[in-house]
Amino acid sequence: MKAFLHRVIPVVLGLVLCASAGASRRFDAATIERGRYLATASDCIACHTAHHNGAPMAGGLVMSSPVGDIVSTNITPSKRHGIGDYTEQQFADALRKGIRADGQPLYPAMPYVSYAALTDPDVHALYAYFMEGVPAVEKAAPHTSLPFPMNVRMSMKVWNALFLDPQPLARTEGRSAQWLRGRYLAEGAAHCSTCHTPRGALMQEKKELNMAGSQVGQWYAPNITPHPTAGIGSWSEAELAQYLRTGRLEGKSQAAGSMAEAITYSFSHLEQADLDAIAHYIKSLPPVDLGETGTPGAPRFGQGQAGHALGEVRGQGYAAGMAGPQLGAQVYSANCASCHGASGEGTRDGYYPSLFHNSATVGKTNLIAAILLGVDRKTADGHVFMPPFGDQPNALNRLSDKEVAALANYIGVKFGGGDASVKPEDIAVIRQGGPRSPLLTMARVGMAIGVLVLLALAFTIVRRRRGKVGA
Amino acid sequence: MTISKRRFLLGAATLSAAWVGWGAMPAWGFAAGTESNASFMQLSRLLVNHQLDDAVGARIAQTAPLLHPRWSEMTRAIIAIAIGRQAQAVEDFFEAIPEGPLRDYAHWVIFAWYSGCASPKKDAQVFTYEQALTYRVTGDAVAIPSYGFSGPNLWHRPITPLSPMPVF
Amino acid sequence: MPNLKSADVVIVGTGVVGVAIAEKLLDAGIGVLMLEAGPRVSRAEVVENFRNLPLARKGDPSSCYPPAPWAPHPMPSLETPEDAYLQLSGPDKYAQTFIRYAGGSTWHWAGTSWRLTPDDMRLRTKYGVGRDWAFGYDTLEPYYARVEHLLGICGPSDPGLQWPPVEQGTPRSRPYPMPPLPFGPGEQRFTEVAASLGYKNIPTSQARNSGMPYDDRPACCASNNCVPVCPVGAKYDAATALGRLESKGAVIQANAVAYRVEANAAGRIEAVHYLDQDKRSHRVAGKLFVLACNGIETPKLLLMSKDARHPNGLANSSDQVGRNMMDHPQLTMTLTLSEPYWAGVGPVVNSGIMETSQGDFRSEHAGAYLRFNNFARNRFVTFNALNKGLVGKALDAEIRRMTACTADVVLAHEVLPHADNRLTLSGKKDWLGLPKPAIHYDVGDYTRKSAQVYSVPLGKRIAQAMGATDMKIATKFAQSKHIMGGTIMGHDPRDSVVDPDCRAHDHDNLFLPGGGAMASTACGNSTITMVALGLKAADAIVRQMGRA
Repeated sequence: MKAFLHRVIPVVLGLVLCASAGASRRFDAATIERGRYLATASDCIACHTAHHNGAPMAGGLVMSSPVGDIVSTNITPSKRHGIGDYTEQQFADALRKGIRADGQPLYPAMPYVSYAALTDPDVHALYAYFMEGVPAVEKAAPHTSLPFPMNVRMSMKVWNALFLDPQPLARTEGRSAQWLRGRYLAEGAAHCSTCHTPRGALMQEKKELNMAGSQVGQWYAPNITPHPTAGIGSWSEAELAQYLRTGRLEGKSQAAGSMAEAITYSFSHLEQADLDAIAHYIKSLPPVDLGETGTPGAPRFGQGQAGHALGEVRGQGYAAGMAGPQLGAQVYSANCASCHGASGEGTRDGYYPSLFHNSATVGKTNLIAAILLGVDRKTADGHVFMPPFGDQPNALNRLSDKEVAALANYIGVKFGGGDASVKPEDIAVIRQGGPRSPLLTMARVGMAIGVLVLLALAFTIVRRRRGKVGA
Repeated sequence: MTISKRRFLLGAATLSAAWVGWGAMPAWGFAAGTESNASFMQLSRLLVNHQLDDAVGARIAQTAPLLHPRWSEMTRAIIAIAIGRQAQAVEDFFEAIPEGPLRDYAHWVIFAWYSGCASPKKDAQVFTYEQALTYRVTGDAVAIPSYGFSGPNLWHRPITPLSPMPVF
Repeated sequence: MPNLKSADVVIVGTGVVGVAIAEKLLDAGIGVLMLEAGPRVSRAEVVENFRNLPLARKGDPSSCYPPAPWAPHPMPSLETPEDAYLQLSGPDKYAQTFIRYAGGSTWHWAGTSWRLTPDDMRLRTKYGVGRDWAFGYDTLEPYYARVEHLLGICGPSDPGLQWPPVEQGTPRSRPYPMPPLPFGPGEQRFTEVAASLGYKNIPTSQARNSGMPYDDRPACCASNNCVPVCPVGAKYDAATALGRLESKGAVIQANAVAYRVEANAAGRIEAVHYLDQDKRSHRVAGKLFVLACNGIETPKLLLMSKDARHPNGLANSSDQVGRNMMDHPQLTMTLTLSEPYWAGVGPVVNSGIMETSQGDFRSEHAGAYLRFNNFARNRFVTFNALNKGLVGKALDAEIRRMTACTADVVLAHEVLPHADNRLTLSGKKDWLGLPKPAIHYDVGDYTRKSAQVYSVPLGKRIAQAMGATDMKIATKFAQSKHIMGGTIMGHDPRDSVVDPDCRAHDHDNLFLPGGGAMASTACGNSTITMVALGLKAADAIVRQMGRA
């Protein structure tokens, strides 16, 4: 009997301890892991983590938007500085309705219009992950303060009433499970349309032009509809899946800017089946051509050829080259050719891309952004890094607006099948964060007009009353 | 037809500007004359049996008269020797070039294409760097210094055999 | 807040030592003003300067750095004896080069970063020659680790391939931040040959981004141009840090040639005077001063700063300023081989045999380190091939053969400090009217004997094992450009210039970190040790300013 008790009591005690430990954890490991995968697919980390050693999900990333800078929030389970006190309903409302726990709306820099597609079980799993899978960070993120009147968040309620669809994924018949999964990820968690769909005057996505391309800050998110010349119609589904996993299709394209980030933190970690599903869905979209970039009628992927202008720069001295009419050729040789080749051919092993047969050199914006900001993209295959040439402390060389414009024209003409239409002013726009939206000015002008109208109205009413009294 | 004084002065000014401009252009920037360039390129292709860049050739041709005053005559003479021998390659006719200034000039042309310079001296005129043929000879095995050779840490490879010679 | 007139700390020199110290001080909240004699240039300009050089000048690393008139530096391939900057005398020419530009001489260094060994720091105790360092390897080791992470130095994780060797009992406190770079085929072959003779050709510990970006700079792409300039910034050079220093609040004044350090009656340094490119004089005040101008310009500046109280120059009560000039005298073996090696794949110096620098023979003669130089051979062989009068296919074959089948193996020796190896101010003046340095140098019997009985015989054995069909060995020592000794470190102010923190014995607020402080040279390139001394000095400065 004694021996029996000696064996049983430790076991019972163990069970009791386990149960009480379990009582302080609300979610099981499998749910938290599913939430982690969904958070990866949704790429929460890319916006909610400050660059250069920011704590994960602790916010503080300043994002340049056409109406001003928006700072991401701390979404770790810190009770003081994060979302530790959020109930699951409050979490779901933030995610799918863009409403904070205090009832204030979020700005649609948070892609809640896409996340509105997330199912309840997936929201539950995400909640589990953010409550118990993310370390709490006890540090407040700075507040966002947009210029007036954008800082009046309540106006977002009107915007949401107009543009937030609580059921963004339409009912559909006869679609495969793969297509449905692809749509759920692409339109929901991966929120592709947030960047790739052009926006209207009130900054709402133009759904009829879904994925047809849009300027996002300093980069242009290109047309990814299956249009044969304006989009990625020339890519197979397998190629698209490979691009999402690695960020590179040799002889076609490579990801930089926010897409490189999305690949580093999100797509490269997804299961192959999910990448295949996204590719399958994207390739099924209606083809659209906005007629915006590159040569009309020619895809942006096979343009240009090798070539050089060494005769313009060799043997005369750098200063003469920089002062002369071949500034672009000189800047290219001095800054770009060591990796991209004297004739734009890249390295023999293809690691450093050729600049012809490269969509980055077709059209202006991404070429300018790549020059000013460089490329930074990490996957399991390695860390791709092109240094920036802007004003950064680590700029390999600080190029002026005039020099970047000359360089972009040289590259665009030599390798991109384009014309020399880049001006120094174009560089300045990208350098300062991208094109500004007229929305802010319009809103202020609109409000000023509104106030004047009210004043005129009030004046008229007062005059009439006086008239009546006087009569 | 008389021209007005004003027009005459304007024309003269334009001509003078062009003359000054011509003189001020970098030595390599002005083609020495298409006919002599074509002749020089023909000579070059006979002496150097590889793909040669006309723009580099124009710059070498620019310097040739400074170092070899009878270059034009010598160019024609060597071409004639090659044609006389019905030469398909430089080995077919080079021995027939008489020793002395003519052969020296032929060696100089070869030197210019392979080294990219006008001489082995420290103040030599530079015609090209990247396009110097010495780098084409070895381009499959070693980098042209200052141009990337491979992706990061991807240059480990077996020893490239001396044969075959790259085609260029 | 530093401005152009005064700062907490004034650092003269924006080379690797000055820049490392500046960053440490800025991070500690100390205001820093940096004076640089020469101009600030872009990497683009230097790269194109190189490409535009005639082939005959491409082998001289200084060629793509034309000096500003006010900040002359030696230009061996251009100077006439009349306008030479260094006035050299003695049986061996101390024909150093260095670059007076913002970023200093690391613009063109190879990146080689060999640590000293414990034995290297105790020559007097162990072998009865030279000087001991004022502290041991254990004191320096944590600084080495910091330098490796600061500059981005890659190396092997296998202790059998590391330097110092395992036998000297020197475990690393931190792993290298990046793994070693792959060997090129020639180096691989050289490694096999060395192994057949019982020697280890180990990966060079080097400041180059290996397989990954580091320090916000890209990875090495094997453009084989490290010397004279890395086109992409994969090799660390001090110029890459300047933008970051300014973002941290450093004020950097280029084209400012320091010509006088001003001490007050109590021996405290009060200011530095400099001339700008218009020959106008400026005075900069500070609380503490660092001279990090390289091993020739620092002692020269101290000697130029003599005044009534310091007739022999500042910091010179020991009379050691400018003495004990040292370097790594080298002999190059140019070999013709019967099989292709193909030097030129990868960085220019990527491996070496270091074990031959250690041993009991050091009581008799110097050690030596052997390295297979990995420069692409085209520029060494093209003129020779063309000179043979070949044409057509024979010419192509000869150029290819010579490029693949010739190689340089360099024997780099250590040298002992001698008081007569001395830098003084010559009577000749430069463009600003400042005295040009005069240097008397003799590598000494200790080093000459090594060549006679040790290094050259060893080199020959290796050449034979490599299958050399022809061997040309230099008979006169060339200089490695590793300038050491002119402000030597010691405990005793009577025979040394600086203390173990590189603080001048004579002036409490003057620091002289860098190669000049090194008490022994060993055989491996000096930069990592110089920067380690710089960080040690920076720590001391932070402590000292904290009390001030």
